[in-house]
Amino acid sequence: MVEFLNIFIGGLILGGIYALIAVGLSLQYGVARVLNISHGEFIMVGAFLTWAMYTFWGLNPLASLAIVGPAIFVVGFVLHRTLFTRLRTSSASPAAYEGGSLIATFGLMFIIQNLAIITWGTDIEAYSFLNTGVSIFGARFAANRLTMLLFAAGICVVFYLFLARTRLGKAIRAAAQDPETAGMMGVNIKRVLALCFGLGALMAGLAGSLLSMCYPIRTTMGLEYTIIAIIVVVLGGMGSIVGSFIGGLILGMVGSIVLYIDPSLSLVAYYFIFILLLLVRPTGILGK
Amino acid sequence: MNSVASIVLNRSFQLGLLAVILIALATLPLHYQGYNIVRLLNIFMFVVLTVSWVIFSGSTGYMSLASAAFFGVGIYTSALLGDKLPIAVVVGIGALVSSCVAFLVGALTLRLRGIYFAIFTFGLVELIKHLTLWWEINMEDRRGRLVVYVENDIIFWVMLSILVATLLTAYFIRRSKWGLALQSIGENEEAAAHMGINVTLVKVITFAVSALFVGASGAIIATRWTYIDPGIAFNPLYSFMPVLMAIFGGMGRLLGPVIGAIAFTYLKEELGTEFPELYMLIFGIILIVAILYMPNGLVGLIQRLWIRGFRRQDADT
Amino acid sequence: MRRKLLILMVSCTMVLALAAPLFAAGCDEAEPEKEVIVFGAARPLTGPFAVYEEMAFGPIYKMWVDEVNARGGLYIEEYGKRLPIELKIYDDGSDMGTMTSMLERLILEDEVDFILPPASTAFLFAAAPIANKHGYILMGAEGGGTTLTPLLPSLPYYFGVLNYSDHYQMPVLADILSDAGIETAAIMYLEDLHGVEYSGVAGIELTNAGIDIVMTKSVPLGVMDVSSIINQAKTLGAEAFLSFCYPDENFLAIGTAIALDYNPDVFLTGPGANFAFFAGVFGPAAEGIMGYGAWNTKSSAASEDFYEKFIALYDPGLLDWWGHNLYYAGLQFFEQAIEEAGTLDQAVIREVMATSTFDTILGPTWFDMTADGEGGGLLAEECYTGQVGQWQNGVFEVVDPGANRTAPPVIPKPAWPAEE
Repeated sequence: MVEFLNIFIGGLILGGIYALIAVGLSLQYGVARVLNISHGEFIMVGAFLTWAMYTFWGLNPLASLAIVGPAIFVVGFVLHRTLFTRLRTSSASPAAYEGGSLIATFGLMFIIQNLAIITWGTDIEAYSFLNTGVSIFGARFAANRLTMLLFAAGICVVFYLFLARTRLGKAIRAAAQDPETAGMMGVNIKRVLALCFGLGALMAGLAGSLLSMCYPIRTTMGLEYTIIAIIVVVLGGMGSIVGSFIGGLILGMVGSIVLYIDPSLSLVAYYFIFILLLLVRPTGILGK
Repeated sequence: MNSVASIVLNRSFQLGLLAVILIALATLPLHYQGYNIVRLLNIFMFVVLTVSWVIFSGSTGYMSLASAAFFGVGIYTSALLGDKLPIAVVVGIGALVSSCVAFLVGALTLRLRGIYFAIFTFGLVELIKHLTLWWEINMEDRRGRLVVYVENDIIFWVMLSILVATLLTAYFIRRSKWGLALQSIGENEEAAAHMGINVTLVKVITFAVSALFVGASGAIIATRWTYIDPGIAFNPLYSFMPVLMAIFGGMGRLLGPVIGAIAFTYLKEELGTEFPELYMLIFGIILIVAILYMPNGLVGLIQRLWIRGFRRQDADT
Repeated sequence: MRRKLLILMVSCTMVLALAAPLFAAGCDEAEPEKEVIVFGAARPLTGPFAVYEEMAFGPIYKMWVDEVNARGGLYIEEYGKRLPIELKIYDDGSDMGTMTSMLERLILEDEVDFILPPASTAFLFAAAPIANKHGYILMGAEGGGTTLTPLLPSLPYYFGVLNYSDHYQMPVLADILSDAGIETAAIMYLEDLHGVEYSGVAGIELTNAGIDIVMTKSVPLGVMDVSSIINQAKTLGAEAFLSFCYPDENFLAIGTAIALDYNPDVFLTGPGANFAFFAGVFGPAAEGIMGYGAWNTKSSAASEDFYEKFIALYDPGLLDWWGHNLYYAGLQFFEQAIEEAGTLDQAVIREVMATSTFDTILGPTWFDMTADGEGGGLLAEECYTGQVGQWQNGVFEVVDPGANRTAPPVIPKPAWPAEE
């Protein structure tokens, strides 16, 4: 029983992390059609802001979510209104835009990382927060990881409700399905796309904040998280928020089981599942 | 002007010029041992990677991120066989093994389109990397390998030969029916199939051919690195770089990727040495400015300026 | 027509642009009088290894150059004067291909007088043959390993300073553990050069010392959860837990062990515990954790001076209680060898280095050369200030048996602090 709980809740925690990392990217690609290679850099910035506020001002990392999120949202929104909107209108075709925006996000990745290195250096940073054990039916877990799971789940649920229930959320979904028709129906497409990009960045920032509670952070870590995010997004189905969540959970569960059997195989297992799934179901679990 | 132009455009003159350039390059290590050998061979390598990428992805529109896998397979071939066989044979084997891997991957991934193909190929690099790692550690109890040492001028000549082979292949594919078939796959795959093109065969074989050169260049460059491990050999950077370089140069014609790779490699190195603290920042800004203001790449930009210059000249006369 | 002309012009321009430096390089200008000594290096200013530049060798070589220049530079008899040092640092972006090219660029194009090493063991392996080919001395810094040892005889210009697995760390660890009566150990190691090597050597040394290795598990780089490993070690009741990983995984292992309440008698981690900021991150939980090393201000008066100089310049959290004194001593040794040789001729300096003993912050310092003095060398065992360290009351104490010891090891380590 304890072993089962270890694996199951451990899988949930890992899955929550993966989902959180991926949801923002899914939104950005699914709606705004930007495969954002700089996604991990936003995660890194969120993590560093939280670390800095905790270390220098003693601000509770959970409270800093309320600062980090909006701040990064604004950056993402402005970036899309300026850079990506211009790129979109000047691109000859949607495919050209996807290629162009890919390069632009590469550029962003370099820029953000370099700025972060100038600001925070390249050394490893870490802090101890809620690093105590919590017992669930005899199985023990780190309190900070459980907290991260709760927040990740909460954020994803709120986000899902926002997309499903609000007017703005519906506009976003309409834009994702058919931007031109949505535009004709009176949706301000430029604003909606920028909003999506900003929200994607916001999710990345929050993910970074939560991750910094459990993992040491470096200014050069962004690309590693981008890669995880891409895998989860593809696994779940491009552009499907629920899909990303499910993709993350599956990856987390598999990871947890493999870690139990043979930790050295965990990454092999991820990529194996990923490749197998793509072959069997090329559009991901919940893809169209 | 006209007479100069006609001489310059004379076909035999062009071929002659190319031959002179080639001979100049090929004889360079005989009288020069400096750093430009290394600089040039790095540039050659990236031109090979980029042009090979364009041979398949440029025309069919399938964005492959598998270059690093083929490159790494070449590197590992060199690490495993480098001290047992002559280097030319090793390079040949590296090319063939990479090509076989590409053939298998191509045959497996026919169902995937667009971004899924790109990401599949990217996942493949990581899978091969982690499998190699797992194998080395659990089956051989080691990590990484030493690679046989080869003189720079030999590496230079081998790389130059690979470059020439790549460019010739790319040139003739473009000129041939095969190239037309690829082009029509890129425009509309269903229509191409209806026209009687064996779409599957064309795609898989082109993919395999393009991997030949990537594998060969990996096999030869590994000898410069001395020590390799899966993380070094299967570095995803070598998947992204060719794509960036090709788009940077402009993919409309063969010259685009070549110029893109040369300019990009040169720029990256100069920035990394002149402004090591800020080079990523500058590089990032250049990328973004390039994509905003040069939608058709460097070649597109040059062409635009050129045509503008010509018009003015025409107006003057 | 125009297009073809254009293509042609562009290609000609590019060929010319590339060829221009060749001709420039061809015409030798008259040798100007030597004014500075240039030290060049390809260092990871960006990418995953950038942490080395910030926390390991980076601060040390900058500090050393400033100190030498404050004295007016290195006195070179050949020129009859002191020449200040100038640094030429390139960014290798943590990429092997870039590093090898940059190193050759420094040697061939910039014709620097000396080179400093790149970061990490693998890069050091790649740099050593290049340095050797061009006859440049390569004083190692971050890195070293058993894989390099058999190559040493063929690398006369390589001088390694950092201690590593069988370069006395694991044998000393085995002594410490068996002295304390430890009978079982669990090993977690990272799937890379460092992890594989340490777990291999530890397996041999610990078994020879009569310690039973009850678990050996490897984890891949980027692992995000190690609780199954900690749980297993706990179930097996391993008295010692050895984590041969990098800081990312080591921090995760410690955090997980605290949360899962696994408190073995000995908890040793690879790179991570040796950094001063480690104690800051873990606070009281750092107490009793062991790491590679080691030195501290009690090791010698020279160590204390060095410490004072370091914290006057840098954030004390950047201090490395494993390698910093060794890197610095290596440079001090290099400096004295250059002055003693009285020339910038590397072959002459190499002979001086291979045969001399100089005073550094380690005390009398010399290298054990391979192949009867014709091969490369490693810092002699007697020069090290310690092989294993342990955090005790906020100090990274040297706990080796013998003269280097600054405090006896605390085994079993104190319990993890109670919840705040």
